[in-house]
Amino acid sequence: MTLTRRQFGALATGAALMAGSRSSFAQGAPIKIGAVNPYSGAMAQYGDEVTRCYELAAEWANAQGGLLGRQVQIVRGNATSAQEGIGAVEQLVGRDKVDILAGTYVTAISNAASESALNYGKLYWETNALARDLTDRGLPNFVRTGPSSNEFASRAVEGAIKVVGAKLNKQPKDLKVWIEHEDSAYGTSIALEQQRLFKAAGVTVGIGSHSAKAIDVTDSILRAKNFAPDVWISTAYVVDTNLLLRAARDQGFKPAAMMSCGVGDTKETLEAIGKDYLDGILLVSYPRPDVSEKYGPGAGVFLRLYRDKLGRDPVAPQGMNAFVGMKILFEAIKAAGSVEFEKVIKAAAAMDKPLGAYETGYGVKFDDKMQNTRALPVVAQWQGGAVKAVYPTEAASEGVSVINVPRA
Amino acid sequence: MAEFLNIVAIGLLLGGIYSLVSVGLNLIFGVIRIVNFAQGEFVMLGMYGAFAAQVAMGMDPYIAPVVVAPALFALGCVVYWILLRPLQGEPMMQVFATFGLLMVLENVVLALTRGVSLSVNSAAAQISMSLGPVQMPLARILVLVAATVVAGALGWWLRVTLPGKAIRAVAQDRKAARLMGINVERMYMVSFGVGAALAGLAGCLLAPLYSMSPQIGMNFIMPAFAVVVLGGLGSVAGAYVGGFIVGLTEALAGFYLDPALKHAVLFLVFIAVLIIRPAGLFGVAGAEEVGLREQS
Repeated sequence: MTLTRRQFGALATGAALMAGSRSSFAQGAPIKIGAVNPYSGAMAQYGDEVTRCYELAAEWANAQGGLLGRQVQIVRGNATSAQEGIGAVEQLVGRDKVDILAGTYVTAISNAASESALNYGKLYWETNALARDLTDRGLPNFVRTGPSSNEFASRAVEGAIKVVGAKLNKQPKDLKVWIEHEDSAYGTSIALEQQRLFKAAGVTVGIGSHSAKAIDVTDSILRAKNFAPDVWISTAYVVDTNLLLRAARDQGFKPAAMMSCGVGDTKETLEAIGKDYLDGILLVSYPRPDVSEKYGPGAGVFLRLYRDKLGRDPVAPQGMNAFVGMKILFEAIKAAGSVEFEKVIKAAAAMDKPLGAYETGYGVKFDDKMQNTRALPVVAQWQGGAVKAVYPTEAASEGVSVINVPRA
Repeated sequence: MAEFLNIVAIGLLLGGIYSLVSVGLNLIFGVIRIVNFAQGEFVMLGMYGAFAAQVAMGMDPYIAPVVVAPALFALGCVVYWILLRPLQGEPMMQVFATFGLLMVLENVVLALTRGVSLSVNSAAAQISMSLGPVQMPLARILVLVAATVVAGALGWWLRVTLPGKAIRAVAQDRKAARLMGINVERMYMVSFGVGAALAGLAGCLLAPLYSMSPQIGMNFIMPAFAVVVLGGLGSVAGAYVGGFIVGLTEALAGFYLDPALKHAVLFLVFIAVLIIRPAGLFGVAGAEEVGLREQS
């Protein structure tokens, strides 16, 4: 078969058009962010919540025209353990061709997944995992936008000294604090940092540990009771936190203030303990959507976006922290003009936003290990069956103040 | 002294929990010679059963055993018939099968609940009683009473009733029991069912004390193994008394030494008892070997 000049011209034009359309399609391909989180198993509830809020942030960005002229797409990678974290990264990079990885609800998963991401030359944008070690590794592809375990520890100490101390009219040297913690690395690392900070402030400190799998923790409560503290602070998981609070109630242990660090702020604890006993219990928690607009501008908008999409209130405060982490990533990508990890990290390192720039009240200023130094948890409190931010004072909504300290 | 009395009371109440969980485990081991790793998961199912009964029928967890224990009995019978009976004569395979069952049950509940911890409420769980310096939650007293009643009733049933005697006969010598006209397979199935029902009962009574998670069964099963070995494999009285030994050891070591050391102390006592009395306090020497000897 021979082609006439006209047929050849038509074919050449068609081919050129097709090539052009392919090129413009590539230009418009979405920026894919792989969300490494547990979506099954015991941690699924929170893993899901974190990723739902990544998706919410992506929809918010897309509604504003996307990033670098491209839409943002969140691709889920299920990881319930460190080993699965590595597998999830391999799948997200190899099969789904993601540009960036983000996560997680769990330190161990973040640890393994971020190293795996480095092997593929991908950025690992951490929003929620807590352990300080994650940034202390100095991994070149790793950034954390949310607070680390150290910030949770320091906020608990601040809450005990400034909130409870003020209510009891006691100086730090007159305060007695009992630190209770579950005995894995999570609880121990936060408790030891709290102990260090309290001692530096001149507070008298007692410390005790228990297994998160213990059938009974009454012995731990009685040891704390014998110490007669003004403040009892616990760092544990949900199930043992509930067990500790039950044992405290049963044994009539009533320090002036009780504080739970990291957990104890969800419906699970409310249903287990009941609102009457919880009233006045302090919580060191991620900033929640109830923070004042002055402290966290846009927190109300976040809550509306969440409710519009999901038809209910957020399951846990981890969500808004994840949402803000994703927004900071989008800003870094915009500033970098690229998704390459060296460029995004360089752009992130140059960011300088004051506290109160985001819904959570965070600012942005990364230290040399790429830990955001302007991401701080708040002290909240159970009040009438709801959790309300009470410290810093400017985080508290209008009309909200500390109640039931000392405990009735 | 007041402090000591309080700790002893707490140890005894904790012992009640361990006894209640261990009695069924020991019955199954005593008769069928299976170390049932899934016993803790039966307790967990009992807890979720109490939750389901409360949600569906508004039933108090202390009434829920009326529904949950028969359901667990039926489940135990089915598990024995389908899973364990075909593996008779292969004791190691039966142990592995119960471990597999543990994983199945845990993961099914995990999938259904997505890891959210659940709680049941009862007015009784809110009450704590004072006896001088001793504080005792009513919910734990009820567990202690239930453990005592269950151990007594089970001992009576095994000693006095015909099915109980049949079960003891099977436990002592399967071949002779068969020659006496006892349906050995049925007795095994009934024993496994009763063991599962007792775990269901324990789960209902423990539900108001704990926030439920699919993994909670594992928390009970390790100390329960210590209880049955300490008390004597296959002995109802052993499981009952062993529970108190474990409970008191944990409470005293946790308070006077360090809560982080209480399991280390418990297992030191465990090793010491085994060295002095290998069959456990109430066990019969050699009973633990029966399961490894081939019986026809």
